[in-house]
Formats: sequence, structure tokens, C-alpha cells
Amino acid sequence: MKKSKSVLLSTPYILWMLLFTLIPLGVMGYYALTDPDTGGFTLNNLRDLGLFLPTLGTSVWYSVISAGICLLLGYPVAYFIAHRSAVTQKILYMLVMLPMCMSFLLRTLAWVGLLETNGIINILLGKVGIGSVEIIGTSGAVILGMVYNYLPYMILPLYAVIVKIDNRLIEAAEDLGCNGTQVFARVVLPLSMPGILSGITMVFVPAVSTFYISQKLGGAETMLIGDVIEKQFKTSNNPNMGAALSLLLMLMVLVCTGIMNRFGGEDEEGGVVV
Amino acid sequence: MKKTNRILTVVIFAFLYIPMLVLVVASFNTGKDLTVFEGFTFDQYKALFQDEDLLTLLGNSLLISILSTAIATAFGTLSAVGIHNLNPKLRKTVMGLTNIPMTNPDIVTGISLSLLFVFVGSTLLQQKESLNFWTLLIAHITFNLPYVILNVMPKLKQMNPALQDAAMDLGCTPVQSFFKVTIHEIMPGIVSGAIMAFTMSLDDFVISYFVSGNGFLTLPVEIYSYTKKPMQPRVYAMFTLLFLLIFVLMVTMNLLQLRADRKKTVKQAKSVTAGQKVFRRVCAGVCAAAIVLGCGWLIVSTRQDKITLNVMNWGQNIADGSDGTMDIIAAFEEAYPDIDVNYTTYDSNESLYAKLAGGGLTVDLIIPSDYMIARLRQENMLLPLNFDNIPNYKFVQEEFKNTDYDPNNEYSVPYTWGTVGILYNSKYVDEADVTGWELLWNEKYKGKILQFDNSRDAFGVAQFLSGISINTTNENELKQVSKKLAEQNPLVRQYVMDQIYGIMEGENAWIAPYYAGDCMMMMDANPDLRFYLPQEQGFNLFIDAMCIPTCSENKEAAEKFINFLCQPEISGANMDYICYASPIEGARDYMDEYLAESEVIYPEQSILDKGVSYLYLPPEINRLMDNLFLEVRISGNQPEETEEEGSALPVILTLAGLGAAAIFLFLPKRKRK
Repeated sequence: MKKSKSVLLSTPYILWMLLFTLIPLGVMGYYALTDPDTGGFTLNNLRDLGLFLPTLGTSVWYSVISAGICLLLGYPVAYFIAHRSAVTQKILYMLVMLPMCMSFLLRTLAWVGLLETNGIINILLGKVGIGSVEIIGTSGAVILGMVYNYLPYMILPLYAVIVKIDNRLIEAAEDLGCNGTQVFARVVLPLSMPGILSGITMVFVPAVSTFYISQKLGGAETMLIGDVIEKQFKTSNNPNMGAALSLLLMLMVLVCTGIMNRFGGEDEEGGVVV
Repeated sequence: MKKTNRILTVVIFAFLYIPMLVLVVASFNTGKDLTVFEGFTFDQYKALFQDEDLLTLLGNSLLISILSTAIATAFGTLSAVGIHNLNPKLRKTVMGLTNIPMTNPDIVTGISLSLLFVFVGSTLLQQKESLNFWTLLIAHITFNLPYVILNVMPKLKQMNPALQDAAMDLGCTPVQSFFKVTIHEIMPGIVSGAIMAFTMSLDDFVISYFVSGNGFLTLPVEIYSYTKKPMQPRVYAMFTLLFLLIFVLMVTMNLLQLRADRKKTVKQAKSVTAGQKVFRRVCAGVCAAAIVLGCGWLIVSTRQDKITLNVMNWGQNIADGSDGTMDIIAAFEEAYPDIDVNYTTYDSNESLYAKLAGGGLTVDLIIPSDYMIARLRQENMLLPLNFDNIPNYKFVQEEFKNTDYDPNNEYSVPYTWGTVGILYNSKYVDEADVTGWELLWNEKYKGKILQFDNSRDAFGVAQFLSGISINTTNENELKQVSKKLAEQNPLVRQYVMDQIYGIMEGENAWIAPYYAGDCMMMMDANPDLRFYLPQEQGFNLFIDAMCIPTCSENKEAAEKFINFLCQPEISGANMDYICYASPIEGARDYMDEYLAESEVIYPEQSILDKGVSYLYLPPEINRLMDNLFLEVRISGNQPEETEEEGSALPVILTLAGLGAAAIFLFLPKRKRK
């Protein structure tokens, strides 16, 4: 009896989520199928999406590269943290999390100051006598911004998984004659797969939809899909086209995370392990 | 292996912390620039605590995040209990629903919520201000809820159900058993959920950016619009203080936890409950503070007998008291103590139009340019002014009356006028190359050229160069112009509006077309900058004028503000800061001499005669220009030019395919479980 009553507690939540997540997506779909000027039904917005596919491609490409770099940099760090004493682990974990709590706008602006043509890095390089390098405005700068902003999202889930790996399994593998590389490839890596996938998703999704990073660190040739969407809403006053683009972006992300989930571990029900 | 890991870890931590160090150092800098350290000072901290606007914004951010966290934590915990007891199939579905805001990109969540709010508020309920404090709060609660649920659910799963039964056997009602037993068992989940929700909410920019109106802004949204000129260093001071605060909080939290862990192993249950009691009190305190704060704010905001005048102006387009100029808004508020000015900015006529047409805002006074006034007037988005309240209109010079955009002087009162020319850095640009607009297409300066980030001005530049009228409505001509702009795209470093200041002053780019007054301000900051007006090819001559949009709620107060700004001495003092020419008779006499005599601000009449004004264009031409300009902007990504008009079918098929794939990928999984 008690159970059936407490079930009612979930009703307001279900209603809330329907009202503020599903219905808004429906409204977005409605906008995507309406003409900005007349308000009538149209497929023009969907047709024009074709124009933006290369831009979407660029965004996906940048974020895949960023996620890859984050994985390559983040894994050793997570592994290192997971093999410290309990107290050191806590401290390092906190140090990884701390940047995530600080304004990402200001931190990205700091990179602008670092990378500018006459920025800090170039001033230092000039003093050493190397001369200046053009970083800002290139795709490299945008990817650097993505890696910088989302690296903690990779390290934390990786750490959460690696720290749980039972040391006895590694010892057993060693006893059975595995060398270091084999232990890593056959035991550690497969066991950290859920963390890897969750980390990749957590880097990929915000990176593919960013507009701030490319606006600040990118140049004329690094327009991303997030910029286009933001422009449709904030300057071109074409929310209908913007809604269509958002729909495309959402489906694309859904398919990507779906593939991830498919290959990923079964132990979700909480996919996020920050 | 281990050694390389250690080195890599150190490098990564340096990578994560160096940018923050840059900001912290900048907060002690006497200069304004991030890159040059001029001297050590604590002045930024003093300035921070005197800056009411900044503190209000910080307060807003804290209020929203504390309130939304408190509500989401209470609501989410109860819901989690309910969800936990649902039958497995339903539970899966609800968890799927919970995952939507987590897996969706922020931008999609923000946009869909803002569309819902505007659709319901403006279209269905005919509300004027449909994006406000409440919509922001709802949005924050919505994206905070999943964090709480996802943290509490695992703890509920781990809990031994016998505990609850035991409590009920001993005579507890279900509610009592929840508060006496369950809540203690799931406390760690609740706390970590609340902490995550709080940090996410405090730092959220993307969702807030789309769902907030101009009445209630949070700190990150405002920081985003602070792009003009180098950012005020007091913002860095705030960053440093917040950094310290969060650092101390985290350290204490970890220390408390460590101590609790140790005690647990040594002394068992008793001391644990003591620790938990302290913790519970802290939580209760935070919740109570949030509620008191929230109620307090509501009382203050509703009881306020001051009228709020919402002014929306170009960035850096009013004297604000810095560098020894007059603080116009403060002076106005002093003259009219019952009016409180809420001042926000936009960076182009087009973004102002999008804000107004997008709905959801209350704006009482705007200062668009001529062609935008004509457009707003044509689309019935302006209110006629009551000139009885604007006696100072008599000071407006005759040549600014009976204009094309407002032929009967009903809707607007001029604010400034000026020209669009080329700003270049004489240190790097060869004077012989400065012959006209073609300078912006000069291969020699590839990567050092900036261009306008709004369609009308960017098209204007290319139109003057190609000898096409800037007011053409001929589709082929417009396409020709956009081709010209696409040719320029590989040479352009960035498309900018307000950001131009830092880039040009810091010599990171050398050539840019921009508005004369702003150019004058940049020339003040960097003496190597020069301004050139291509007289032979023609240039844009514009007037910015004050208007009252139809969404205004305080028309009379807005008219008082207009009247105030038309006083010659006020207008003159204002121009001293914004460096434009005043259309007010006698204002020039109140300006600094070097500005009043400047050729950049007040060119000779013979030169002015060659200027051309933007005129009203029909909506479909505006749309076409916007679309063509966007194509120019993304042309860097295009493999090659494709001329054909595609049909809707392939894209729809792709979309359907993506949708089907998404469903396919998620469905079987559910069945398996």
C-alpha cells in the first residue's frame, strides 16, 4: 500500500519534465516547419538545411578531434590520479574539478589574451627569439579551446572507472604471464571502456554545439553549427531556420550518443559520473 | 611509464591552471590589458565593491542558482523516491525522459525552452515580458533536476528495503519513516546532486543566454556582452575572489569528509550521526537562506515604487563617467529620482531587431540607425512620440528633421550622426595602398583585415566598392555583391562588431571598416591608427535616433529621458565620451575642443555631400541579404560553390533516417533490460 502511494510522488516530476523538455522540443519542431514571414506550413527550412551540412561536418570533425585529444591526454592523468593514496586522490580530483566551477567565458577570454598575435605567448616567444606564431583564428585555436574547456569532463569519468578496477585482476594477469602492455591492453583498457565512452560523449556533445569558443578563438573560416544557430536567433531573426538547425543538431547528437550507448557498458542508470 | 605519467599530469594541470593564473594576475594589474602587466594594485578590488551593477549581477546569479538548487533538490529527491517505486518498465521511460536534458546539447535545451516561453507568453497569452525571472528559474530547475535524480537514484537502489519496513513496524508512518530513515541513507546522493546542480547553475551561460530577457540578467550572460573594449579588470578581481571562495569551500568539504571517514572507522556510528547532524544543519541553513533571499528579492522587486526605464543602446554609446566624463544615467536618475534606468546593450541594428521581433522583452527606449527606424516604423513596431514631453526638441538642428526614415517627425529624435570609413594601422599599412574600399580586398594584408558582422554594413562596403547602390533591391546585384564578399572571406581574420576595440588597439589586425566615432575612440587609445573616408567611391552617412518601441510600458519616462538627452550641455558632455557628432544645436560648444574640431567627427560639408544613407528595404530583401551574408560567413567550410536549388526531399530523408537510427539505437536496449 505504501508503495503505491509513494509512486504518486513521481507524477509532478513526470508532468514537469513533459512540460519543460518534451513539449519545448515539440514547439521547436513546430517552428522548424513554419515560414518565418507568413507563419504558414513550409518545408523550406528543412530544404535549406542542406546548405549547412558542410558546417555541421566541420563542427563534428573538430569535436571528434578534440574528444580524441582529450582521451589521449586525459587517460594517463586519470590513471595517475587513480593510483595515488586516498588523500592525494581527493586533492587531485578537486583540482580537476575546480576549473569546471569557474566561468568558462572568462577562462576562454584568458586564452584569447594568451594566443593573440600580440598576446602573452607571442611576447614570450619573441623574447626567446623564436618570433611570433599565428595561432588565433585558426582551427587549431578552436580545438585547443575545446580541449581546454572539456578536458575535465574526460578525466573525471575515466578516473571514476579506473579507480574501481580491482587490483587483484591486474595481479592475476601478471601471474598468468602478461607483460605491462598486455595487462593494459587486455585488462585495464577493456575495464575502463565505460569511462572512455562516457568521457567521449561528455566532451563531444558540448564541443559540437559550442559557439562561444569559435567566436572568440576562431577566425573567419571557423564558423561552427552553434554559431549559425546562435546567429539565426540573435541577429538574423529567423528562429524558424534556427529551430530546424537545432533539430538537425539534436538528432545528430542523439545518433552519436546512441551508438556510444550501444557499444558502451550496461551499467548506466546514471550515465554521468562527475 | 610512471615517470612520463607524472610529467604529463603536471603539464596537464599547468595547462588547466595557466589561463586562470592569467586572470588572477590581471586582477592586480594597473593597466586594462590582459597581456601587458603595468603595475601592481588593489584598486580593482575597490572598484569591484563600488560597482553596484556588477554586484547586482552577481547577486542575481547567486539567487537563481541557490533558489533553483534548493527547489530542484527537494523536488528531485521526492520524485526519485516515487520513481524508485514505479514498475520497472515505467521507470525506464521516466529515466529516459530524465536523460533528455543531459544528452541534449545546451543550445538545444535553451532554444527549445525559449521558443516555448515566447510561444506561450507572447503568442498565446499576449504577455509583453514573457522572458523574465520566472522563465530563467524554470529553465534552471529543469536542467538541475536530472543531476539530483541521477545522484539520488543509485543510493535508493543501494538502500536496504528492510530498514524502512522495520521503521514502519516500530510504528512510523510512511512519512516519518522517510524522514527518519530513508533520508539519512540517501543523504550523500542528495548532497552531491545539490552541489552539482549548484555549480552547473552558477556557471550556466548557454541556456540562460537564450531564456533571459533584459529585465533579469545573470553574470555570465552579461560577461558575454562585455566584449567591447578590453574587459573591465574588476571582473578579473571578481573572478579571483570567486576562485578563492570555491577553493576554500571545496577544501573544507573534503576535509570534513576525510575526518568523518576516519572517525567512522575508529568510533563507529555515534560520531557519524554527529557529523551528519552538523551537515543537516548546514543544509537546512542554506535552504532557509535561499528561501529568505528569494522572498526578500520578490518583496523588494514588487514593492519598488520606482519606475523602471528599460533603455537599450549600442554598446559603449553613452557617457558612463569613466575617464572624467559625465555619468549621464546617474545624472538623469538624480534629476528624476522616481525613475530607475535599466540599461542594456546590443551590438548591431540587426540584433536589436531580432531582440524586439523575437518578443519576450519590455524595452522603453531604443537608439537604432536610420534604415532600422524606417523598418520598425513600417512594421508598426514604434510608438508615436508625445512632443509635449520633449520641449528640448527645439534644439534639434533643422537638417535632422523631415528625414527619409521619419518624414513627419513623429517617431524619432536624433541622438548622433556619423560616417563609416576605414580604420587602419599606419605602422603596418602602406599609405600608398590606402586608396579606397579595395584596401579591404588587398591580398597583401591577408589575415589582418576585419569586416562587419552584420549584413547591411558588410554589403554596404562591397556595394560602394562595386559601384552598386547601397539601397538596391535587385536580386542579381545583391548576389553579385555577396560574391564579392565571399572573395574577401579568405582574407578576413574575423567578422566583428564590438570586439573590434581590443583587436585593433592591440594591433592584432590592421584594417577594418567601422563607424567614425568608435574609430575616434580607438585612435585615442592607439595613436598609430588612422581613419580614411573613401570620398570618391562613396561612404555611408548615418543618423542614430531615439525611438520608443511598442513593447514599452513607461512611455512618459522614456520621453523624459529623450528630453534630458536633448539638452545641449548634456548632449555635448555625452559626445565627449562616445566621440560622435551631435545633431543638437549648441552641443558642439560644450564638447572638448579637439573633438569638436576633429575632421573625423565633423567632416567638411563638401565631403559630407558625398555620403549616402541607407534607406528602408522590403522584408524579403532583408531576409535575402541575411541569408546571402550567412552563406558568405560559412563559405570557409564549403567545398565548392553549388548553384542548384536543392529539393527538400534528400534532407527530409536524411532527417528521417537519423530519427529512425536514433530510435533504433535506443529501443532494443530498453527491451534488453
